[in-house]
Amino acid sequence: MSFNSAQYFIFLPVVFLVFYFTADRYRWVVLLVASYGFYASFNAPYLLAVLLMVTGISYTCGLRIAAKQDETIRKRWLWIGSFACLTILALFKYLPFFESQANRTFGLSSTLSSTIISIGVSYFTFQAISYLVDIYLEIEESECHFGHFALYLAFFPKLSQGPIERAGDLLPQLKQPYRFDYDAMRSGMLLFTWGLFKKVVVADRLALYADQVYNNVHNYTGLSLIIGTYAYALQIYFDFAGYTDMARGTGRMFGINLTENFNSPYSATSVADFWRRWHISFSRWILDYIFKPLQMAWRNWGQAGPAAALIVTFLVCGIWHGATWGFVIWGLLHGIYLASSTSYRPYQKRLHKWLGVEKSPWLKWWQMFVTFNLVSFAWVFFRSKSLGDAWYVISSWFHGVKGLRSDLILSQGRQNILLLLACITLFVLAAIRPQVAERFNSLFNGTSRWLFYYLFVMLILICGLFGKAEFIYGRF
Amino acid sequence: MVSEKLKSVILGELELDDFDIVDSTTADMVPGWDSLRHVRVILAVEQVYGIRFQTIELIRIKNVGDLQALIDRKTT
Repeated sequence: MSFNSAQYFIFLPVVFLVFYFTADRYRWVVLLVASYGFYASFNAPYLLAVLLMVTGISYTCGLRIAAKQDETIRKRWLWIGSFACLTILALFKYLPFFESQANRTFGLSSTLSSTIISIGVSYFTFQAISYLVDIYLEIEESECHFGHFALYLAFFPKLSQGPIERAGDLLPQLKQPYRFDYDAMRSGMLLFTWGLFKKVVVADRLALYADQVYNNVHNYTGLSLIIGTYAYALQIYFDFAGYTDMARGTGRMFGINLTENFNSPYSATSVADFWRRWHISFSRWILDYIFKPLQMAWRNWGQAGPAAALIVTFLVCGIWHGATWGFVIWGLLHGIYLASSTSYRPYQKRLHKWLGVEKSPWLKWWQMFVTFNLVSFAWVFFRSKSLGDAWYVISSWFHGVKGLRSDLILSQGRQNILLLLACITLFVLAAIRPQVAERFNSLFNGTSRWLFYYLFVMLILICGLFGKAEFIYGRF
Repeated sequence: MVSEKLKSVILGELELDDFDIVDSTTADMVPGWDSLRHVRVILAVEQVYGIRFQTIELIRIKNVGDLQALIDRKTT
């Protein structure tokens, strides 16, 4: 059941009504049953079994770590719990890779992996590992109530695609008594609707162009490939940010504040800044649990220490997305961008001073342009179906405009282009000019807000594409 | 309580003339104390006090008060 499906529009109000009319001490049961029901709707019973297994392992190991004083025993339970969670994750995520290797080595023709889906597994296993590490580091206390802990991992708004919540942020909220708050309900519904707009009106329309180019890259050259790449860069943002808004909006209706995952990432002025704004809950996870320990362990390597830690961290980040060379190179590119910035940053400042542009407003725009292009360049490897396709895209960027007018721009109609340009302009203005965003929000908060609610819903119903149900990050 | 010695090491590495550093001060409260400067601060502390931290000890540090307590433990 996807957030933009008809089933979810029935599921959500039903769950809310049951939740609302249930006594506080049983509300966690309602949410837990709803979350398991939500997960079961993906028609893959093994997913529920995996969720229960990870819940049981992390709950038990968490209690063991907290109960022991001896550092060696605590560390042993941390390793047991983390290793078990990572093994489950690796089996699910890399099954296609293992299967293709086995087929090649032993001459088999197994197709098991094509029938297996792993939606949500990486998100709740990452949460489970962060819970164990935080108990080990004595940042958090272990949770004794199995039901609350199970809900912390399974809470349905963030189950399939995150945000990856820390125990300290989410667990206390799940235990709080619920009081109906009209403003929270209204802002939750509005946020959910914004997310739906980003997904079905903007992201899925951008996908028409990105998919057309990237599913047949050899039909295009030059500007067509550049437009396809920019379309994908915007599509993946609107798709994932749309999902996150819908997740956070749903959470808010139940009195739960989930972590914000995006903060205008394409207005970043450096790649480091981009990672502070993009998939924030995930970047916090990899920085806290991979980068920082490596950086500290390699602190005597001079400048090479942080650089190596960044490259390894983002290599892991790439592999987390899947066992393909495209994801590996995408992660490696981001690692290299960040590692090289640790060396050139002082020289960059000196260069800006020497050129006299350090206080120029154009410098920020230039940095945003460069960062967006660096990130878009990396998306080529992320999106391409093979390394050969990726190489073709980057080697044909400056070779003519084959397929641009007839195949690409006009194929989806003029209205599509105009609608997308209007939406993207609006989002860009809202990201760079806070007063535009405030004025826009005031439409939904003012006296005639109901008029704008109806217009907004009508706009989504008329302009939305409801056939394409999947969210991109659902498969990670 | 944060000693003057630790305070001067931190301010020196962060190239700050002055900043009110207390037990509850965290890196994100101090201008310029990013993850890269943090490594330099830790290396400088190890050098000035003649001690060596374990990685796990460094990861457990939440604020300057924790760092001071760790130094006190290592030097006594």
